[in-house]
Amino acid sequence: MELYLQFGYGMMEHCRTLLRSWGGGSVILSPRDLTDDQLLRFGSDILKIPGGDVILDPQFYLPHSDHEKLCNHAYWPSAYSTTLFWQGQALSRLLESLRDLNSRIGCSRFVLPGLFASVVDDDWAETQRSVLEEARAGSDNASLISTIAISAEAARDENQIADLIERTEAWKVPAYYVVCEHPNGQYLVDDPNWIANVLDLCAGLRLAGSQVILGYCTHQMLAANVAGVNAIASGSWMNVRSFPPEKFNATYEDEIRQRATWYYCPQALSEYKIPFLDIAHRLGILQLMAPPPELDGGYATALFSGAQPSTVGFGEQGAFRHYLHALHEQVRLSNTESFDSAVADYEARLTTAETLLARLQAANIRGQLRDFAEIVDVNRAGLGLFSALRGAVLRRQWDTL
Amino acid sequence: MTTPIDIAWLQRSFPELSGFRQLGQGGQKFVLAAKHRRDGDVVLKIVYPKTDPESVRREILAVQQIQSSRVPRILEHGIADTNLGACVWLREEKVSGDTLRNMLARGPLPPESILRLGLQMMEALDGAEHAQIVHRDVKPDNIMRDTAGDFWLLDFGIARHLDLSSLTATSLPFGKMTLGYAPPEQCRNFKREIDSRADLFALGVTMHECATGKNAFLDPPPRDHLELLKRVEQVVLPPVALPITEADSFQDLIATMTQKNRIHRPRTIGHARRWLREICEREGLV
Repeated sequence: MELYLQFGYGMMEHCRTLLRSWGGGSVILSPRDLTDDQLLRFGSDILKIPGGDVILDPQFYLPHSDHEKLCNHAYWPSAYSTTLFWQGQALSRLLESLRDLNSRIGCSRFVLPGLFASVVDDDWAETQRSVLEEARAGSDNASLISTIAISAEAARDENQIADLIERTEAWKVPAYYVVCEHPNGQYLVDDPNWIANVLDLCAGLRLAGSQVILGYCTHQMLAANVAGVNAIASGSWMNVRSFPPEKFNATYEDEIRQRATWYYCPQALSEYKIPFLDIAHRLGILQLMAPPPELDGGYATALFSGAQPSTVGFGEQGAFRHYLHALHEQVRLSNTESFDSAVADYEARLTTAETLLARLQAANIRGQLRDFAEIVDVNRAGLGLFSALRGAVLRRQWDTL
Repeated sequence: MTTPIDIAWLQRSFPELSGFRQLGQGGQKFVLAAKHRRDGDVVLKIVYPKTDPESVRREILAVQQIQSSRVPRILEHGIADTNLGACVWLREEKVSGDTLRNMLARGPLPPESILRLGLQMMEALDGAEHAQIVHRDVKPDNIMRDTAGDFWLLDFGIARHLDLSSLTATSLPFGKMTLGYAPPEQCRNFKREIDSRADLFALGVTMHECATGKNAFLDPPPRDHLELLKRVEQVVLPPVALPITEADSFQDLIATMTQKNRIHRPRTIGHARRWLREICEREGLV
């Protein structure tokens, strides 16, 4: 599994720095946050980095969006006078325009526009099929990535997930970009059904021979490794670590206004505000929270230098780079030898986190809404159900994924 | 012999047959064993006039299209006027042996027999899948073992031809099936969801029964068909521990075949067949 960087507000320099330090990697470009010119310039920058790659998420989730930056892109339609948009020349023009933009940026793969599905039904599926069919007429099929964007309700419904998997079998797409809304706007999802179903969807796509990029992830989706997912994508702010569809509308109240610096303790799978690190420091247990050497990019070294953490100037930049570097290494080190070893590896990660979290919680060091203590069992339950549904087949076909 | 068919008529109408012996009598047909002058032991089925002729035509078509060595051949068929009225008749290859139902009355099957049964039934169902046919009634009553130890799949009476229009009313709450073997989608008459994976479910339940000696959906006896339906939809079959080297893989296969949702079963009969064949190869059985 790989980590892709999900572009969002203020991500340019993070992407450049991290990709250089990793010796390459992929960035998912966001038209919501970049103008046409910026897309071209930034895309070019990334492609100049050895091993650097970009794909463009057209963010066509809500076609009637009034988000100013999205609507200003040349590919964004100005009107949808009739429903024939999805069956005729207007769709052709949209794809042609996107194809042209992808080409000018230098993207080797073409992420297709996909509507946000509140419900997976015939109408939505027909639109997906139309887009795909039209795209195939003008592009090499091997370069296509179909977008599947679904609501939290759809992701929680096993019947809709099953229906979706069945439908995709006929689409025969080489790769999917899957984005699933989190229930109730949660950062860490507390519903094991959601986890199991998202894993099930990804495994179903993988078993049908397609690659899967799971977009807008937190570290909670390190679990996706057991479904054979090819890449998860994450970024800096909360709104690129989960998928709030409303952020593609102008009225979205961006949580970036409520800035706080969080330190990601990767072995606890939890994030902490800096004052809690101060408490840990004063209780003499701060070193328990230091990143293990294999996950440490040096971005958070100052926090563990012996000084009071809140006095060392650990800010947003360091917090984001530390998060993404640690996550990158966690992804890279995830065991992919077999289904059973992937499961064992992830379970061990949960057990390690659980043990440390108990110790930290005993000292009242808590990550509040980013604490994984309540999520350990959620992911265990989700993983258990997923293993019961898919384990036997994945165990057998793992090497052929 | 007490038969609804006039025995003198039988002898007159089928002069090449002799030694008639009643095998069974169901709601739709009357079944006799006989000896054919050229083909030897055969089965003669006489379908009652009230039976939908299209379903009989499709049963014949299914067997002819599948052309599996594990499905008894229909050697001849026609229509005859009987004392009951005009009846379709079928003369079939006869399998001498015992039904799996009778064998199970004596207890679980040895592992080698279960693996052989699985392979041979998958061979038959693979043929059906290629012909776009779903048997829809795989169960111990419809499987026979001959005297050489080989298994045969019988009775395509409710087979579904996926390339032909359905004969089951869409509005019916329950589809044609045997509760306790049919998968949830077939029980609920979700016709669009019925494909060869329905047969995989039923075969998985049958193989599980062969290994444990009982059908976990039917034991203990359900209060009524609604409770049985709930069990089929909700109860996960307990793991089987076949005393073979490949026990884990066998358990994985059965668990996969009997998944409640067809998307979690093997994608095709061919996939399941390859899986079982690999188990058999590692056990030195093929």
